[in-house]
Amino acid sequence: MQLKATIRGRTYAFSSVKEVLGRSNPPKSGDDLAGVSAREAVERVAARAVLAELTLAELRENPVVPYEEDELTRLVEDSLDPQAYAAIRDLTVGQLREWLLEPGTTGALIRSISPGLTPEMAAAVCKLMSNLDLMVAGARCEVVVRANSTLGLPGRMSSRIQPNHPTDSVQGILCSTREGLSYGCGDAVIGVNPATDTPESTAEILRALHDLRVRNQIPTQHCVLSHVTVQMKALELGCPMDLMFQSLAGSERANRAFGISVGLMDEASELMRARTTNQGPNFMYFETGQGSALSSEAHHGADQVTMEARCYGFARRYQPFLVNTVVGFIGPEYLESGRQITRAGLEDHFMGKLLGLPMGCDACFTYHADMSQDELESLKVLLGAAGCAYLMSLPVGDDIMLNYQSSSFHDIPSVRALLGKRPTPEFDAWLHEREIMDGLSPGPRFGDPEVIR
Amino acid sequence: MSLTRELMSALRARLGSASPLPPPPLAPAIAPPSRVFPSPATRNAFAVEASEHTTALVGIGAVGTRYATDVVLQFQAELAVAHEAVAAELPPGWAEEHGLLGLKSRVGSHREFLLRPDLGRRLDSESLARLEERAAKDVDVQLILADGLSAVACMGSGLALMEALARECGSRGWRLGTPLVARYARVWLQDEIGQVVRARVAAILLGERPGLGTGDGLSAYLVYEPRIGKTDGDRNMMSNIHPRGVPPPQAARRLALLVAAMLEQRRSGVSLDLGALGAELGEAASTGYRAPQRRERLVHVGEPGGPGRPGGPGEQGEPPAQHQYSKPGPAPGIPHRKEPRR
Repeated sequence: MQLKATIRGRTYAFSSVKEVLGRSNPPKSGDDLAGVSAREAVERVAARAVLAELTLAELRENPVVPYEEDELTRLVEDSLDPQAYAAIRDLTVGQLREWLLEPGTTGALIRSISPGLTPEMAAAVCKLMSNLDLMVAGARCEVVVRANSTLGLPGRMSSRIQPNHPTDSVQGILCSTREGLSYGCGDAVIGVNPATDTPESTAEILRALHDLRVRNQIPTQHCVLSHVTVQMKALELGCPMDLMFQSLAGSERANRAFGISVGLMDEASELMRARTTNQGPNFMYFETGQGSALSSEAHHGADQVTMEARCYGFARRYQPFLVNTVVGFIGPEYLESGRQITRAGLEDHFMGKLLGLPMGCDACFTYHADMSQDELESLKVLLGAAGCAYLMSLPVGDDIMLNYQSSSFHDIPSVRALLGKRPTPEFDAWLHEREIMDGLSPGPRFGDPEVIR
Repeated sequence: MSLTRELMSALRARLGSASPLPPPPLAPAIAPPSRVFPSPATRNAFAVEASEHTTALVGIGAVGTRYATDVVLQFQAELAVAHEAVAAELPPGWAEEHGLLGLKSRVGSHREFLLRPDLGRRLDSESLARLEERAAKDVDVQLILADGLSAVACMGSGLALMEALARECGSRGWRLGTPLVARYARVWLQDEIGQVVRARVAAILLGERPGLGTGDGLSAYLVYEPRIGKTDGDRNMMSNIHPRGVPPPQAARRLALLVAAMLEQRRSGVSLDLGALGAELGEAASTGYRAPQRRERLVHVGEPGGPGRPGGPGEQGEPPAQHQYSKPGPAPGIPHRKEPRR
């Protein structure tokens, strides 16, 4: 294994695959904080040159967290598809990049090799790609899932309504939800982050959203994003639940800080399989985001892109209906600026899709990050063009409970019209029936929340 | 000439040399666009109903698929308020002017403060020496005012909260530490400060991460037996302290109850039993509670309350009721802004 490269007479030597992966990343404040980023621009290119020549087999043999120490590494290693792996094992990372960009590489072909890829491989190829590379390859990946509606079909872009409320007022949540539906949003999920993490309040919100969905015959699904153990108790209270949610991290230790493990998630998804109110077959919903492992000091000296990819290695075990990277929420110590947040959104979307997940993105910023509203609006168009399965949507993009800025109800129909994208086919028909949309144009009841009762 | 060249020149000939678009029609009179509400009656009904339940900006209508201009301006004003609060810094000499002992973390600049939480959790050597030399030791309660993510909040409600909490503590006979203010401070800075002055309880009051339109909220974090190495699970906190959330005098009473519980039970954080205090503490007993806030209309052309533009927004763009809760008071001074954000 060659871990040295020379640029203009200077030789750069790296001590491990993990170090090469870290030094290859485009600049991120979180990698600086962790001390794993390139110390200068030329070193970064040297690391990429080394990375481009590593084979995928070498990446499999060098996971960033050892097999013995980490259940996620074991999960990935033990469940890798031998046939898919055999097809790609001798490619270098540079060749994988080129294969993904080749004209003959169809979505179906990518799907055929995906179960043979480890998260480290997805992260590695990501580091050799520019933003436009990530978009071109991301748009090519084919991931289609189904619950009460069918998400991820070509030419479609969906959205989550996120009607959060600082005190979980059900009336307040329903007001935001009705507003969002009247703008054609909510075909991915109507999902509430609760202020109070109890089974009773989770069940109360779920019942109210379920009633709204049934009353108005809306072909979508609902979810309350409390801790998975709270949702399991809520299910035992007998409430309707279309999707079960959990935040995931990229190492066993980081997941312990989230209060979860592979065993717990197995149990949760089995309970959900038995109890869910959605028509299936997909019923889990996960959120991830670069920097979460470092924030709990559980990154094992790896960079945040690689740790993020490892979340997807965990998520794919459960064939989720939605996976969402919350890309600018964590704060400037991990993603400092609009440039870094934009890059991270495109990276995560690509890596998740490559690993077979229906990737959405919460393109967002906190008010202490150096990102402008204009940069955020641009990112939504980039994600839409890259084939992102869904974006968030909130009133004016303002989360009044979590205090950050995301996409708005108005942004979804705007991006759809610009890119010629439609919502899920089921939801599209419902919007037409309710006269909210007329194809890609606003219909007579567009923006009128009274159309939903 | 190659076949391709021949085809290209034939194509060019067919496209002709005239301007590719016909001349535009004469501009007709353009009426002010109306927003896409089915009728003012239903719009108002929804906005009024919604304003009773949420401060989310709903019932705002659209122009095409985008916002009406006054919604854009309200949004931009709220964003600017949040960004100014983040960018503000305590001016030099502010501590002394207010009779406080000034300290600084190991952070050297505002940008570094945002990027290096680790440095914001420890005192620089000069501050450490000053604290050791000038602050009272072996105290019951050490109060620390700090900028955190909003120096505006620190300089606004922060002083009032600190004074109110000092009175509450004094009236209970607790021995108070020298009043301090810390610059570039993160929550965990209270551990080192409390350890140096040998406080039984340390309370840090600091500007919280601003939300849209709100830059003046404070959070308070309390820890029993502050020592470097305490974790978040060792702390109790109260957020959303400002005139429209939990007002400082009310917050001070509740914080004093928390301190009393810590002194009595000799612990803090998740293991602190607040059962007996539930009713008195109100919302402070539950974690993560945020009282609803009111949304102020921020943008007025001309003077607040002055006559609007005749035939203007009143006809087609009257903002929904929840924008109109209250007239803004005198603008809080936002002293000493640092350079524009990069």
